[in-house]
Amino acid sequence: MFSQGGLSLEQAPPISVVMKFFITASLFGLILGLYLLASSSGLLTYSAYAYNVTITHFLALGVMASFMLGALFQMLPVIAGVVIKMPSKKSMVVHVLLMVGVFLQLFAFNTSISLLYLFSAIILGSALLHATTLMIKELIKVQDHSSSSKGMLLSLSSFTIAIVFGIYLLLTLGGYISGDAFTQVKEAHYSFALFGWVALLIVSVSFQVVEMFYVTPKYPTIMSKYLVTAIVMLLVLKLIALFISLPTVGIDLILALLFIAYGIITLHRLYRRKRPTSDATVWFWRLGMGLLIVSMFITALGTVTSIDQGLKSISYLAFIGFALSIVFAMNYKIVPFLTWFHLSNQGYMEAPMMHDVIHPKKAKIHFYIHIAMLVTWTLSILFNLPMIDIVASLLVVLSFGWLLYHLIFAVRKYNYTQKHTEKIEW
Amino acid sequence: MIISSYMRTEHRACDEIFAAAEKHVIDGDFEKAEEQFILFADDTIRHFKKEEESLFPTFEELTGNTEGPTRIMKFEHEQVRGLIGKMAEAVENKDSDAYLSLAESMMILLQQHNMKEEQMLYAMCDRMIPQDVKESTLETMKAIEL
Ligand SMILES: [Fe+2]
Ligand SMILES: [Fe+2]
Repeated sequence: MFSQGGLSLEQAPPISVVMKFFITASLFGLILGLYLLASSSGLLTYSAYAYNVTITHFLALGVMASFMLGALFQMLPVIAGVVIKMPSKKSMVVHVLLMVGVFLQLFAFNTSISLLYLFSAIILGSALLHATTLMIKELIKVQDHSSSSKGMLLSLSSFTIAIVFGIYLLLTLGGYISGDAFTQVKEAHYSFALFGWVALLIVSVSFQVVEMFYVTPKYPTIMSKYLVTAIVMLLVLKLIALFISLPTVGIDLILALLFIAYGIITLHRLYRRKRPTSDATVWFWRLGMGLLIVSMFITALGTVTSIDQGLKSISYLAFIGFALSIVFAMNYKIVPFLTWFHLSNQGYMEAPMMHDVIHPKKAKIHFYIHIAMLVTWTLSILFNLPMIDIVASLLVVLSFGWLLYHLIFAVRKYNYTQKHTEKIEW
Repeated sequence: MIISSYMRTEHRACDEIFAAAEKHVIDGDFEKAEEQFILFADDTIRHFKKEEESLFPTFEELTGNTEGPTRIMKFEHEQVRGLIGKMAEAVENKDSDAYLSLAESMMILLQQHNMKEEQMLYAMCDRMIPQDVKESTLETMKAIEL
């Protein structure tokens, strides 16, 4: 039946739940930047393998998963009508375990100490599985699924699969299991994590949020109805193919083409949006979609012809840029809105307006920093000059530092309003 | 689906007018902006009135629940009305930064409200209310004036 709580932002979790995840994510991004800086300036040296897995997982879990789980805690009640009881307590467990787990994993990758692999598998595994199962459990109950809520359910399911595979990989690396299927599981782990979790979640959220924030025409029904299911089915097919040793390039090609189609259609939605504003978040969305298309185009190219490592790295960078662009776009809408919303709901007459929490001009500056970061990393891939690497790493620090500063500013503004301004009881 | 389609059309119409007003503010044409904004405010408040005086009571009678979704929807209407007041002030003062800032909040608030109505409340109304009651409710709503 119709749950009363799920219907309203009034029942949304306290703002601290979201802010905690967003701030942690930015902090992780900042640390990642410092790690990159240390390695590009030659202060620390790592094997190429440790360097790659560290960056990937620090980004995927420390940054992306923190942002996305925080956003989900906030959005599930609003978008899917799902109530998560005791959100503060539950999110705290996830939050703390995730933070510890990400660091343990970082040390595991960089030291290859067997026990660290075990601990990171246990702690990261329980943090993430706890988060996904508690959300899936609620989402499964939803009766009238929208394309968004169905997509969230499927992307959380993909994430769960990716996590289980990840645990298998960590235990193999630690020497606890023989890991006979290591290669196939690794490939499946990446596919489910990148396409199934990150990209699919962005797709599902966009079906609602793009329309809602920018007042655009609706997505074509065929896309909103079938795209997420198609992607998940392809991923399952890929998994089967991997295990019976059939080639998977055909599946990768179709996946890439579907994402390209989605990117183009989203760009077109944004182009036809009714709201005239071109604030930074619109630009973040445009850039994100452009980067998704670039990344998937290279992936598609790689399935029909052989491409060199540089091009592969650019595809990878573009994918990261895509995911980060969308996350930033969401941040600059969600945080000011929630600050204003919660305060004015509590009856503070002087609740700061959205622009007073984070002004669009600040978001625009972040957009330029983000672009500069992407450009310098591209140059770094193409020319491999230490100088460029240092600048690129500094820009990562600056980018996340900028966001972090504004998130903390928002929290302080929130606290200030609560402490020092007048409140009327509704 | 007659309830959904009628109400959805009204939501979309309000979006269009809202966007038009916002565009005039960006262009600095406050006379036209005010004109459009008043249209938006009237249409939105009339739409709320239709819901509160006709659709919601029908829904409440049917489900026997006056404390559930409709109460929350009415609460959100109140929030939107509050914002409309502030935006009217901003447009009168020709304060474009304040207007655009409030417009941002308004759009998110209103869109998520409409989304919930369209996906849950209207869908339930269409599913549960008998056809003849639906038709008479629709007629009553069409006749409601400000
Ligand atoms: Fe309403
Ligand atoms: Fe409505």
